[in-house]
Amino acid sequence: MSITSVTFILFLLVTVVLYYLIPGKYRWLVLLASSMFFYMMSGVSNGIYILITALSTFGSAIFMQKIADSQKLYFKENKESLTREDKAKIKKKNNSKRKTLLILTLILNFGILCVFKYSHFALEQFNNAISLFGAQPIEDTMKFIIPLGISFYTFQSMGYLADVYWNKISAEKNFLRLLLFVSFFPQITQGPISSFEQLGKELFDVHEFSYKNYSWGIQRMMWGFFKKMVIADTLSPWVYDVFENYAQYSGITTLIGAFMYSVLIYADFSGYMDIVCGFCEVLGIKLTENFDRPYFSKSIAEYWRRWHISLGVWFKAYIYYPIAVSGWNKKLGKFSQKKLGKTFGKTVPASVALVVVWLTTGLWHGASMAYVAWGGVNGLFIILSLWLEPLYDKCKSKLKIRENATWFRAFQTIRTFILVTFIKVLPEVGTLSEGFGLWKNIFTSKIIPDSWQTLLPFIDNIYDDHSLRTINVVIFGTMLIFITSMIQRKQPIRQFLGKFPLIVKIAVFLVMFFLIVYFGIPASGNAGGFMYAQF
Amino acid sequence: MEELLEILEEINPDIDYETATALIDGKMLDSFSIVSLVTEISDAFDIEISPKYLVPENFNSVQAMMKMIETIQDEE
Repeated sequence: MSITSVTFILFLLVTVVLYYLIPGKYRWLVLLASSMFFYMMSGVSNGIYILITALSTFGSAIFMQKIADSQKLYFKENKESLTREDKAKIKKKNNSKRKTLLILTLILNFGILCVFKYSHFALEQFNNAISLFGAQPIEDTMKFIIPLGISFYTFQSMGYLADVYWNKISAEKNFLRLLLFVSFFPQITQGPISSFEQLGKELFDVHEFSYKNYSWGIQRMMWGFFKKMVIADTLSPWVYDVFENYAQYSGITTLIGAFMYSVLIYADFSGYMDIVCGFCEVLGIKLTENFDRPYFSKSIAEYWRRWHISLGVWFKAYIYYPIAVSGWNKKLGKFSQKKLGKTFGKTVPASVALVVVWLTTGLWHGASMAYVAWGGVNGLFIILSLWLEPLYDKCKSKLKIRENATWFRAFQTIRTFILVTFIKVLPEVGTLSEGFGLWKNIFTSKIIPDSWQTLLPFIDNIYDDHSLRTINVVIFGTMLIFITSMIQRKQPIRQFLGKFPLIVKIAVFLVMFFLIVYFGIPASGNAGGFMYAQF
Repeated sequence: MEELLEILEEINPDIDYETATALIDGKMLDSFSIVSLVTEISDAFDIEISPKYLVPENFNSVQAMMKMIETIQDEE
């Protein structure tokens, strides 16, 4: 079911009405029924995989909890007779059982994810390797339909399991409640990836209808539809035209294509987030935010703390920290401090963890060498900035640059935006060499555009009235995103709008509605096809 | 407490640790600092800090860090 379709709007409407009609403590059952319906609409047979994930996660967490509870009870009942050594022995034995459960469930679930997402990629790499020895490549006859949201629900479920393993939370005892956490439909296709501690509370608390939540939720949904249907869906064919034909286009046209891609992916992904967060707000449910004005970041590391926040938080909690503070990595850090000096040596454990995090992040985004390289380039920038920080600080001090000077902050922001744009396009063009080819074309193309049509060749009939209007709306929309982001520095945009008279608010609402209907739907050949849904 | 303050001073001497209550939420310490901090604390207090303790609440202030260290010592 496409999220920008009328069917989906009707589905949301029915969900909201049923949600508030039913007594508070049963409302989560409406969300579960809606989530199951939404999931089954994507194909009944694929439902089996999300059920396997939910069941295995539920069972494993319950067993872990039972082991922990029994141990606690045993220690309490035998407080006087147990020595410290006895306790340590029992703890070790129980931890080992819990660890086995954790590892088996992780293997099962990440195994399913890997089979669906990486089988073609693995076979391709295998064929490349054996072809070096003159062997015949194996024909790829595998045909998979990737289950909806598998990357998102697998990560969310495994995060829950790790939290139970670490005793951060107690295991959920009701399978249906856990199933809702795993399959909650607003976040199943593109996240956010939430923790049980946060989302569980939101899903199972009783939320009464509130006009403010309803009004703010609808406003946010409208803004999301505008970003997705007017800006992203209009830019999409233009951007991919540049990516496909850049060799025939000038450097400046290619550069425009790259910057359009940055606007496109932000409008697409944050538009989706606005739609689902807005809908949840109508229900009184607060979803984890995924964006914090990322294009205003002053470094690549900061950008990744503000873009797709929930994925970054997941990687930090479950991959980065466990690797960075592991025993072997700490030893490596100490060894490096002895051999390479204290300042540099201290960065080694974090750098090792970052390499793993970024190569995995690359693979999570796509099963291709282009995505692995994309992850590698991001990681390289972050690690280099970590290593060069002392030198950077010295330079700033010598040049008497104040960190808070407006011009310096603006320079850092623009520099980061340009870097992020160049890195972003790398895996989107196709193969890795095509991605590098696009970079090269920006600087080396000998084609000089001599008219608007040759500067912007991706727009058919550029002088046509509808084309001109569409260009103006996209420019207006992009500026609107920029202006709203500036306002958001000080206060939430809807709080800002709330200060205006009702007539102004109605006018804004109507203009937005008109733009979505007039420019969104006709321009949108693939409305509902969100870019992050492919991950 | 003194030992912990010394470790923190070495990581970033520009922060007034005795009064700070939002070291993580206020972005005064980042994830790189946390990793260095965990290594130093583990050595100084002879404890094993598992990843489950690496949450902002445990590193927002010196008091929170001391509480976390005491919890781990009790557990061990």
